[in-house]
Parts: sequence; C-alpha cells; structure tokens
Amino acid sequence: MQLLYKELVLAAHPTHLVFACMGALVLVPAYPFSVIFMFGCLGPYITLQYGRETGDARFTALLPVARCDVVRGKFLLIACLQLFQLALSVPFACLRGALGMGGNPVGLDATVAWYGMGLMLYAVFDAIFLPVYYHTACKVGRAFLVAALPMVLMMAGIESVAHIPALAWMDGTEPGELRRQIPILLLGVLAYGGALSLAYRRSVQNFSRVDL
Amino acid sequence: MKALLEVRGLTKRYAGFALENLCFSLAPGRILGLIGANGAGKSTAFRCMLNLSRPDAGSVSMFGRDFYREEMQCKQEIGVVFGDVDMYPLKRLETITAAVRRFYRNWDSTQYEGWMHRFGLEKKKTFRSLSSGMKTKYLLTLALSHRPRLLLLDEPTSGLDPVSRDELLHIFRDIVREGKCSILFSTHITSDLERCADDIAYLQKGRLIACADKAEFLRSFEALRTPGDAAPLSLEEIMLRTERKNNWDATLV
Repeated sequence: MQLLYKELVLAAHPTHLVFACMGALVLVPAYPFSVIFMFGCLGPYITLQYGRETGDARFTALLPVARCDVVRGKFLLIACLQLFQLALSVPFACLRGALGMGGNPVGLDATVAWYGMGLMLYAVFDAIFLPVYYHTACKVGRAFLVAALPMVLMMAGIESVAHIPALAWMDGTEPGELRRQIPILLLGVLAYGGALSLAYRRSVQNFSRVDL
Repeated sequence: MKALLEVRGLTKRYAGFALENLCFSLAPGRILGLIGANGAGKSTAFRCMLNLSRPDAGSVSMFGRDFYREEMQCKQEIGVVFGDVDMYPLKRLETITAAVRRFYRNWDSTQYEGWMHRFGLEKKKTFRSLSSGMKTKYLLTLALSHRPRLLLLDEPTSGLDPVSRDELLHIFRDIVREGKCSILFSTHITSDLERCADDIAYLQKGRLIACADKAEFLRSFEALRTPGDAAPLSLEEIMLRTERKNNWDATLV
C-alpha cells in the first residue's frame, strides 16, 4: 500500500487523476464514448513522462524496495486509475438511463459489452506500452506511439459496432441484451488481468537491464 | 572489527569507460572519502553498489549481508544522498516526507523534526524552491531520520557554501563518533576530506589506485614530492600531480 500511496501523492501527474474522472462523460448526450478509453491511455503516458522529468524511478529505487517494486508501483497506479475510471462511469451510465436521455447517436452506448471492450482495449494498450517503455525507462513518447496505433484501431472498432446491424445487440440496454453481453465483459476482465500480468513480467525483465 | 560495507571486484563496463575491480571496505565508526576527478567513476561506483546500475561482476556486502540478495533489508539500514538529485520539484517537503516515512520500519519523527529545525527547513516549501544546499540538507534529513547504520553520500557538499559545508562536516563527525554508523562520502573537494575523513580511496579512470587510512594514504604518495616542497603534500596536490602525471603519460603514449 505504501507504494500506491507514494505513486498517488508523488508520482501521478494531476492530469492523470483528472483523466481518471472522465468516466463521467457517459452522461454527455452524444459523444464517442471510446474517447474515454483514450483518456485512460493518455493518463499513464503523462505520468511516465512526468516521472522521467522528476527523477521518480531513481528516487523510488533508493527506497527500501526491490527493483521490481519500482515497476510494480506504476502498474498498481495505472490499473487502479483505469479501473476507477470504468467504475466511476457506472453510476453515470445508470443516471443516463434514469433520466431517459436515450441512446448515444454517435456510437456504442455504455453497455456491458462496452465495458468489456474497454477492458480489452486497456489490455492491449498496457501490454504494449509498458514493456516498451521499461525497455529504456526513458523513451516514453516512442512507447506511446507504438501502443497508440492498436488503441486507435480498437476505438474505431468499438464505435463501429453500433453501426453494424448484426451486432446491434451489443448496443442494447434491455435486460435481455445486457445479459447476452456478459461474456464480452468476462472476456475483457480475463484479457485485462492476463495482459497486465504478462506485461508486468516483461516490464520487470526489461527494467532490470536499465541503468538509473 | 567487522566491516559495515565491503565491496569486492565491482566491475561495470560501458562503451568508452569501465569501472574495474573496485575493492574496499568500511569499518564501523569511520568516514571513508572517495576522491577522483570528474568522470573517474565515483557516481558509477555508487550506482553499482546500490543496484541502480547492474554491475558486470563483483559483490557488495552490507552489515555482513549480500546487498544484491537482501536489497530491501539492507536499504532499511542505509541512508543515501545523491548531490545531483532533483526530484518532485513541485511537491512540498511534507508531502515527500509523508510518502517516504512509510517505507522505513525505524522512522523516527522526533529525529526528523530535529533535523528539519536544525537545518532551517520549512515543511510547506516545495523542493524546487530550495537552494541546492538546502536540497542536500533535506535529503540528508530524510537519510538520517530512520537511524541508518551506514550513510552513502555522493558529492553531498558540491554546491554548498563554505559555512554549510563546515556545518555538514561537523555533523558527519558527530554521527560517526559513537561508532555505530559509518559514512562513505565521495567528493572532488579534497579539503572536505582532509577535515573529516578517516580513510581515503582514490579512483582514477575507473580504477582504485589507493585506499588506506589518511596518514598512510598521504605517505604512499611521498614519491610525488619535489625538492621544493617543504611541507607534506595536501590531498589536492596529490590529486593534481597524479592526474597531471597520468595525462602526460597518456599523451606520450
């Protein structure tokens, strides 16, 4: 817990914390909700860039922690804020329904499938971005560019779902449709957990070769 | 007496520079000064000792434990100050302290408050707003507040005014007086070591060319004296003449 506390009070860029609150955007009447996931990917990029400028990795490595804990702290922070962002969006999605605001005309609604696909997007982004970054613990822009391409493609894919008639059930908010979407959410949870675990191992391996 | 720090065969090779086979030890209650010109490998030695850079060979033992195997336990008992550290510039000192103190089992708030008061540090100030001397003092406060048995200080007096340097050197002597704590202290300001070091190690181009207690160290460089030298050579003269000799030899080659 002390690692997460240190990350939150010292290492996280304030913008990252603001981006974690962007889950509330599901209340906007017409908005491509997958942009919320982009904020969840931009946050880690900004924090790692900030960490590089503030000497965060070296300072953390001098604390009584193992070298892999420097990486673990960042993974904890990123996962917590991405999950917080999704969790925060739930009450707003419910409020949207309660207010009778109707469907999102731009793209996919904040349905159960949307959450599953969001977790899959985060899984792909984190699995690429973090190990590439920890290869040097310095070149954060390059790592983001490499991971941004699949992120953008997945965002486009998520938004397209709402416009493909055969997949319209993923955009439905009726109880039956929501139940049908549960496997997508479960797949997202599995993909996110698995990808973070693999990315962590690769990142620790890469970071062990970096000179601080 | 058992050494608090023992470095054996520490080697790190980069393209164009190598720290080769560094060996020395530090007994309890002693101050070991590590001297060397810029680029001699002092900071590289510190980084390798602390596993910030993975050495190609060698071992580091602290308090009789292998540092690389028991890194977390060893770090609980050491205090580290890097003179060039410029971390979290926009954070208040109290915020940094609140995060750091959670990592140490032996954190002593009374001691922390005492050092903050002694150094005239204000908790509400941001790290950026401190002068470089005050930054070093704050880092030293953090390093001393968990009652370390070993202090590793890389260029702690660089950038400090003579009054602050004098104050720090007195503090270093006070810390080791009881014999429980030792200090490894790198610098290129040789006069600081003349005033406070018990032992001196001289690093030149990545190689340790001498390591002994101060009197013996000075004696071992007697050959550098010329007929015109009435008094024994100072550390600064020893360093200057050794570096000049080495540079001229290199030029002739």
